[in-house]
Amino acid sequence: MSSWIDDNDGVYVAGIGMHAYQFPSETPYTQLGLTAVRAALADAGLAWPQVHSAYVGTTSIGMAAGRVMFRHLGSTGLAVTQVENASASGSFAFRQACMELATGVSDVVLAVGVDKHGDGRRAADKEGLARLSETANVPAVKFAMMARTYLRERSADAQAMAQVAVKNHGNAARNPYAQFRKPRTLEQVMGSPRVAGDLTVQQCCPRGEGAAAAILVSGRGMRRLGLDPARCVRVRASTACSETPESRYGAAAVDLVRASATAALAQAGVPASRLDLLELHDAFSVEELIYSEAIGVCEPGDGAAYLLRGDSQIGGRCAINASGGLIGMGHPLGPTGIGQIAEITRQLRGEAEGRQHAGATWGMAHMIGLGSVAIAHVLSRADA
Amino acid sequence: MTTDLRGLQPQHPSLFQLAADGESLDFLYARCPACGTLAFPADVPGCSHCGDPLRDAERIARPGRGELLEYVTLHVPLLPGMEVPRIAADIQLEGGPIEEGVMAGTDESALRVGLPVRAVAVALPDGERFACRFVPQAGACA
Repeated sequence: MSSWIDDNDGVYVAGIGMHAYQFPSETPYTQLGLTAVRAALADAGLAWPQVHSAYVGTTSIGMAAGRVMFRHLGSTGLAVTQVENASASGSFAFRQACMELATGVSDVVLAVGVDKHGDGRRAADKEGLARLSETANVPAVKFAMMARTYLRERSADAQAMAQVAVKNHGNAARNPYAQFRKPRTLEQVMGSPRVAGDLTVQQCCPRGEGAAAAILVSGRGMRRLGLDPARCVRVRASTACSETPESRYGAAAVDLVRASATAALAQAGVPASRLDLLELHDAFSVEELIYSEAIGVCEPGDGAAYLLRGDSQIGGRCAINASGGLIGMGHPLGPTGIGQIAEITRQLRGEAEGRQHAGATWGMAHMIGLGSVAIAHVLSRADA
Repeated sequence: MTTDLRGLQPQHPSLFQLAADGESLDFLYARCPACGTLAFPADVPGCSHCGDPLRDAERIARPGRGELLEYVTLHVPLLPGMEVPRIAADIQLEGGPIEEGVMAGTDESALRVGLPVRAVAVALPDGERFACRFVPQAGACA
């Protein structure tokens, strides 16, 4: 069954580029972003004037981040649009690019995420409403409570979710674009300072900065430009939604992730069991266990066992956060969702040196933003 | 020495007021004229259930009681100036909504999921205002 994502002969990722995620520094954001964009253009074998339109995902840089950055590539007159959606800013920039290609408005579109830490402001703090607890809008508190409930309901202990951080720090150690490059033992993760509830600091994503870029083309554009289809990864689904009333206490995030992932899999026409790769929002370790169940790569209640069996390791049934995830690779916000796309593209091409998941054919990039918006993309090898 | 909280002002007058006993708190709700849902805080610009703008909605006070749904100790100051450790708790208020509150005390062993709790006034260091903290209801044990 065909869907909008297949229009204009389909949407493909033709090039990817990264500036490694890193701790906050004095590096101007333009330097971060331009490094990623230039790498993506080179990877695609395209020149800047061939790009018709650009979407810029960022949370904390300020107005017109794209224009300030892109003039250093040459003022070509392309359309520039800035996208902000909290953690999912880059993912939504990528989705806008997909929609522009599928409608035929453009044939070559850039999606770039770039961010610096420290200048982000939350709308929730400007709502003008008082709260009984000043941490009512702090994600670490909500996820620490979700962790407690999850572990209690499954009779699991805190080590079960700490193992997520062990796996993802291990993957990040093999990813040259990751913020953390050291493997961590279970003892190190459990012994790091506690933040909230059972979450220790090594189970929480770091503050950071960086950039990620993807050059997308339509199928029509791919042929016109003479691009190598073997290096182009096809986008099979793009779905987005926002929160609905909780079906039961604590279920809002699960419902949100399940709804977006289920819709994406339906659009792609594959079951969750076909996914070889899954990049997801593990800002806090417990999220990976909860979302792997909600997305359906494992059975409800089986998240911790799935991890312990090695099913989510690189080389397992479905490599979850092969990049290192938000915990290991980092979570600079604007770039994060496009960094997921870059990782899946690299894996599907068989170019993830040092951390390649053998035979990868299908992958999903899933992201949530401040617990209230969700977005999923399914990608596959072009010949899948 | 005890402080007479009746002379103090609520930290968040839009959320709570001192109850008749001089210690407990009543919470302030708006009753949605369209669907009857209790909105909290009372000054929200719309009913989250049906979207009614809540203009001329009836304001009502209800005892600040509820049931403990989940709780965690916060070990580091997640916001500037926050005192830790503290216990943050999700509470199903008797009025209907689920809200995050702060427990009085820092001993998790005194708590359990399902524990009936009530809101009490706790004087702030400025000597002029009182904040909201939750404690187990009388007779409820962990």
